[in-house]
Amino acid sequence: MGLLGRIVGGTPDPDAAQHAAEQQARDAAWQTALDTGHLPDFVIKRLSDTRNRKLPWVSTTSIGSLLAMRTHGIRPVGMVSGNCWFNFGFSWTKGHAAGWHSAIERMVQEAVLLGANAIVDVRMKVSRLAELGREQMDFAVYGTAVTIDSLPPSKVPVVATVSALEFVRLLEAGIVPVGLAIGAHYDWLYQPAYRRQGVVSNLAVTAYQNCELTAISAFANRVRQAAYGLLASDGARLGTGVLARTQFSELLYFEPDENYPGGRCMYRHIAMGTAVQHEPGMHRPVNVRAVFSVQDKPMRRSLELSEEVI
Amino acid sequence: MSQNPALDGLPKHAIERLKGLRESGQSEGIFTSDLSVNEFLMVREAGFEPIGLCVGSCIYHMGIQYGQWSKNQELNVLSQAMYHARELAMTRMTEEAQAVAADGVVGVRLEVKRLEWDREILEFMAIGTAIAHSSGHPGFKGPQGRPFTSDLSGQDFWMLLKAGHRPLEMVMGSCVYHVAHQGFLKSLGNVGRNTEITQFTQAMYDARELAMERMQNEAHEAGAEGIVGVNLHEGSHNWQPHVIEFFAVGTAVKPIEDQSVIPEPATPQIVIPVND
Repeated sequence: MGLLGRIVGGTPDPDAAQHAAEQQARDAAWQTALDTGHLPDFVIKRLSDTRNRKLPWVSTTSIGSLLAMRTHGIRPVGMVSGNCWFNFGFSWTKGHAAGWHSAIERMVQEAVLLGANAIVDVRMKVSRLAELGREQMDFAVYGTAVTIDSLPPSKVPVVATVSALEFVRLLEAGIVPVGLAIGAHYDWLYQPAYRRQGVVSNLAVTAYQNCELTAISAFANRVRQAAYGLLASDGARLGTGVLARTQFSELLYFEPDENYPGGRCMYRHIAMGTAVQHEPGMHRPVNVRAVFSVQDKPMRRSLELSEEVI
Repeated sequence: MSQNPALDGLPKHAIERLKGLRESGQSEGIFTSDLSVNEFLMVREAGFEPIGLCVGSCIYHMGIQYGQWSKNQELNVLSQAMYHARELAMTRMTEEAQAVAADGVVGVRLEVKRLEWDREILEFMAIGTAIAHSSGHPGFKGPQGRPFTSDLSGQDFWMLLKAGHRPLEMVMGSCVYHVAHQGFLKSLGNVGRNTEITQFTQAMYDARELAMERMQNEAHEAGAEGIVGVNLHEGSHNWQPHVIEFFAVGTAVKPIEDQSVIPEPATPQIVIPVND
């Protein structure tokens, strides 16, 4: 009744003072927890109740995944998450690596409390506030903590940025997805020997000719290689390989000003993806079979594409 | 060792990792790639191991060429620029693959990015994953012993081998074309008529034909038997209206010579999904 009353705004909440105090205590608990790198007591309690089956288990996976997990002795325990709202003080690029790493660390902390062996179906999400532009954003991860029958709880559960279905299939092939590897790097090129007004000065060619901007090409390549170097070392921290599907790069040019009379270029590159643990040269065949579906997807597809043909 | 059949035969390191006994991987021999997990699985199923991410890029200043207002014509300067810049990116990528002793590069994506701050500069990037045959079979290299290149996914690569072919080289043809504008009187003559504008048909036809012809010639020079997975892209990279690029790209293939490494053909089983 009290809750309903509060929602419809009919009666004043008699427990208002108490609720405010509770919220304040909760805020303080979060503050301390984030400062000390721990979790608030109420989160710890919920997780331990979930682990001890006093609360229902929670799974973010598809029902098909649930089936695959069951047949492979994998059980969902609870949903785990972590986030990190990050201010890009000196580098947007580097901030991406730091933000994701913090968020994942927090999520892993929750999974440890659940006694999990792995977090599967890990999804990543960013949030922004329009008025803050590109200066701040939130990095969030969430997934399903699972236990694998016959394994004791892990000190550090693996973080699988793949669906539970894929997780199971990879295990069958002797591959364990273990975490998220990130390589992010940026750099400046001063006096890039590039001018807008008609002439590309370092090459002494006119704007009417085709030519590679070799200095900028080489610079971009150096930055990207450095990002891949970081990706490889971040991957080596986690496993034996990185499947970096997500790549972002950007070349920016800033017109000459008082501080930089020759103008400047910035190149940044971010690569990230699933780190895996496997044994190179030791492959367990999964015996793929070719199948041909007689379902009428092509028909549906062509209808969806109608705007391209009509 | 374990009660769980899912863990049987899993490499020792992998089990240790799941138990959380090993917090880190190996410091040596890490590979990077841009494969998806399924592609990774299928590349290994095909008997190959990923070695590393390979990238070639090129930031290119496009020359300027204007088409005559009322004339259908190829803009050679732009065609050459598009071709040259892509080739530079591809060559650099292949050189990286060669440096790590790869047999080839799969899943190559060839991207052209426009820059907001200058419409005459384009960034070309070729990115893919270098792979090597697990037991070092020498029969999978591309032309002249260089690594092969292919835009086929890991899954397609597996199927191509099953079909008894191997990739040689990504081949491409480019043609930047200026489509003539119609004169005022001619436009006026078409008012209220359902009619073909042959001048435009011809322009599109010719540009496409030139791109495909060039791609096919490249494959012929590489000693290919055929070209698979051909895609034809039409694009305008910040150019004036009426200027379009036709870009044909595909993977040149030839039959696998060594009969002993041809995998069993996979006859597809016909299925009907019941869950969708």
